[in-house]
Amino acid sequence: MNNAPTTNAATASAPRPVLTVRDLAVSFDNRGGPRLRAVDSVSMTMYPGQTLAVVGESGCGKSVTALTTMRLIPSPPSRTDRGSIVLAGNGSTPDRDLLQLDERTLRSIRGREIAMIFQEPMTSLNPVFTVGEQINEAIRLHQSATSAQAREIALAAMDEVGITNPRQRLDQYPHQFSGGMRQRGMIAMALACKPRVLLADEPTTALDVTIQAQILDLLSALRASHRLSVMLITHDMGVVAQAADVVCVMYAGRVVEYAAVQDIFRTPRHPYTRALLACIPRPGSGSSRLATIREVMDDPAAMRIDAPQIPATAWWPWHEAPAGVRRTAELGADYALVEVQPRHWVGVWRTEGVQPGRAPDHAGGAAGEALAGDAAVTMAN
Amino acid sequence: MSDTASSANSRPGSLAPSEPSVLAIMAPPRKRDNPLTRSLAGILGIVVLAVIAAACLLTLPWTLGASNSSGVPIPRYNAGEIANARIPPSLVAPAAKESFVLGSDALGRSLLIRLLAGGGVSLAIGLAAALLSVVIGTAYGTISGFIGGRVDAVMMRIVDILYGLPYVLLVVLLAVAADSVLAEYISREGARAAWMADRIAERGAAPLPDAAAKATLESQALAAIPPRQISPTGRAVLDLGVLLIAIGGVSWLTMARVIRGQVLSLKQLPFVESARAIGASRRRIIFVHLLPNLVGPITVYAALTVPQAILQESFLSFLGIGVKPPLPSWGNLAAEGLPELNPFQSHWWLLLFPCLALGVTLLALNFVGEGIREALDPKRARA
Repeated sequence: MNNAPTTNAATASAPRPVLTVRDLAVSFDNRGGPRLRAVDSVSMTMYPGQTLAVVGESGCGKSVTALTTMRLIPSPPSRTDRGSIVLAGNGSTPDRDLLQLDERTLRSIRGREIAMIFQEPMTSLNPVFTVGEQINEAIRLHQSATSAQAREIALAAMDEVGITNPRQRLDQYPHQFSGGMRQRGMIAMALACKPRVLLADEPTTALDVTIQAQILDLLSALRASHRLSVMLITHDMGVVAQAADVVCVMYAGRVVEYAAVQDIFRTPRHPYTRALLACIPRPGSGSSRLATIREVMDDPAAMRIDAPQIPATAWWPWHEAPAGVRRTAELGADYALVEVQPRHWVGVWRTEGVQPGRAPDHAGGAAGEALAGDAAVTMAN
Repeated sequence: MSDTASSANSRPGSLAPSEPSVLAIMAPPRKRDNPLTRSLAGILGIVVLAVIAAACLLTLPWTLGASNSSGVPIPRYNAGEIANARIPPSLVAPAAKESFVLGSDALGRSLLIRLLAGGGVSLAIGLAAALLSVVIGTAYGTISGFIGGRVDAVMMRIVDILYGLPYVLLVVLLAVAADSVLAEYISREGARAAWMADRIAERGAAPLPDAAAKATLESQALAAIPPRQISPTGRAVLDLGVLLIAIGGVSWLTMARVIRGQVLSLKQLPFVESARAIGASRRRIIFVHLLPNLVGPITVYAALTVPQAILQESFLSFLGIGVKPPLPSWGNLAAEGLPELNPFQSHWWLLLFPCLALGVTLLALNFVGEGIREALDPKRARA
């Protein structure tokens, strides 16, 4: 097996991950048919002050991963087949596997430790309560504050997310807010209890481009000031370039590539990532049409990945598995996420020679100043 | 002339005074839309209803109060002398003898007093039964819709079955069943029979020697388990409770369906998920997040259930299952009035006035319900 030293062991001063997803597999009941596997063998590691962008097309398992982290998917029909999601202890609590907790404990974690903002700011707020009341609710569910104190906290939160005239805005109803304002309200609500992890499920999809940029800037600023760990779910490579530190590209429920944002954009290793990047329209490039996914994936040369051990083939669900791939009933037996170069993981077919190494774990990021030199080394590679 | 020409020249963009300004076209003066005054019928309904309700309910202490005119204190709605029977209303035919504004009935009781007391009874039962049906319907619908899946399917099939049964039959069955339970509670005949059966069994199940022994045993049973002593007022209250359960027990079906549908669509909305994401419990989501969103439909259906419940009460009383005489209700007043209509001597006022009171009240209540619906309708808000 790959015995690469983990980052944590190598540098004692390195930050501890706040949320560690390992080998997660989630499936859904499919009404008599075989269970639908939405997520399989997904691993990711989130650090304080870091934005992890999860990118992929619709149905690739991005949202299922986030919702499973919050344990918000009703079960049944969903089922967690394997894996763990460990939330690091915060001094008073030990490390806890979110998948093993009971509903009561989960409620105390939701909003308090892990907050989530959703895609639809228009309907994510309850129309019959003022925005202030809803922020207050989030605060008072988790903190023993009087309504006056809660109001002060809510005011500060509204101010922090850039809502002008918060004193007046607090007493307004969601329909009196514009889309961007509502998303700011949602963020204020999410941050009111000072969570450590923020799951942002396509927070800017429903917004126009200028508001989108403002919201992303706001998230970046809050991430730095609160040392917040952000999981940014998106399908927009522009958003990734603007806001992410580490990128996790997903396809069909698996991680196909996981690396720092610079590496993803400069040296994408999986052909699917290259295809994603190639299909960003560039004005003035002269090409009249974009490459289809099939054109990219059907090139056998593109599928070859130089793994550290032996040459491997990029994993792709619609391709015939190459010779030597294990065929067992075990979940995710045919797939491995390999570190093809330091801190750059690619999903490949799993053969005797190609075994999964250490799980994707990238401590570098905009806020990880202690690791700035370290990150430079990675980039030099 | 030159003045207007120069001013037009100095401001080339300005329009001639006769033409309407662009701003005026784009933003016509808006009529202020007050949701409460949107429905004229609703306002009329509220006024009429307020007058009727005030008249009936505020006079209840007087109409139910004791009248000592005949020596023994009896409730005023039941006080009357046979000599004054069937006197036409003094409104149309000023009478020589005793004068009754709305006439008197076969027992010489004032129809006005009976109408007022009956209105109080009818309105109170209607409101209480509607409230009961709203509570049952909302709880049932919310639970069914929120849990969903198989529980929802089973709960809604039960509603379908109840819907399929004839409504009136159901009310009658419930009223009769509740009535027999009440009768047993008061007389305790069943308990006595069981007690006697036990004594007989103790004696080795041998048949009783003679009628005297049986009478002794019966008197022993009566001593051991006496019938409950309930005052006429208490009895009347229990009867009304039975009626309330019968009416409330069948009129929640529509409410449950409507609320279930609303909950089904509401619980899919992202704000419910975001409430869960901040750590709210199921109970909190139902009571704090869903119910306030349901206030609109609940209010509208409650307002429309009240006249329905009043009608049910009157109908049951008309059939003789509802409010028991001598306590009046609009239904049994009408029932008493019906046989008074005959080709030889028509005592029309005994039927007309109860029906008029009932009809006007129901119409007013329906107008109010409609008015509330209009006031709460978001689609009408910007019209």
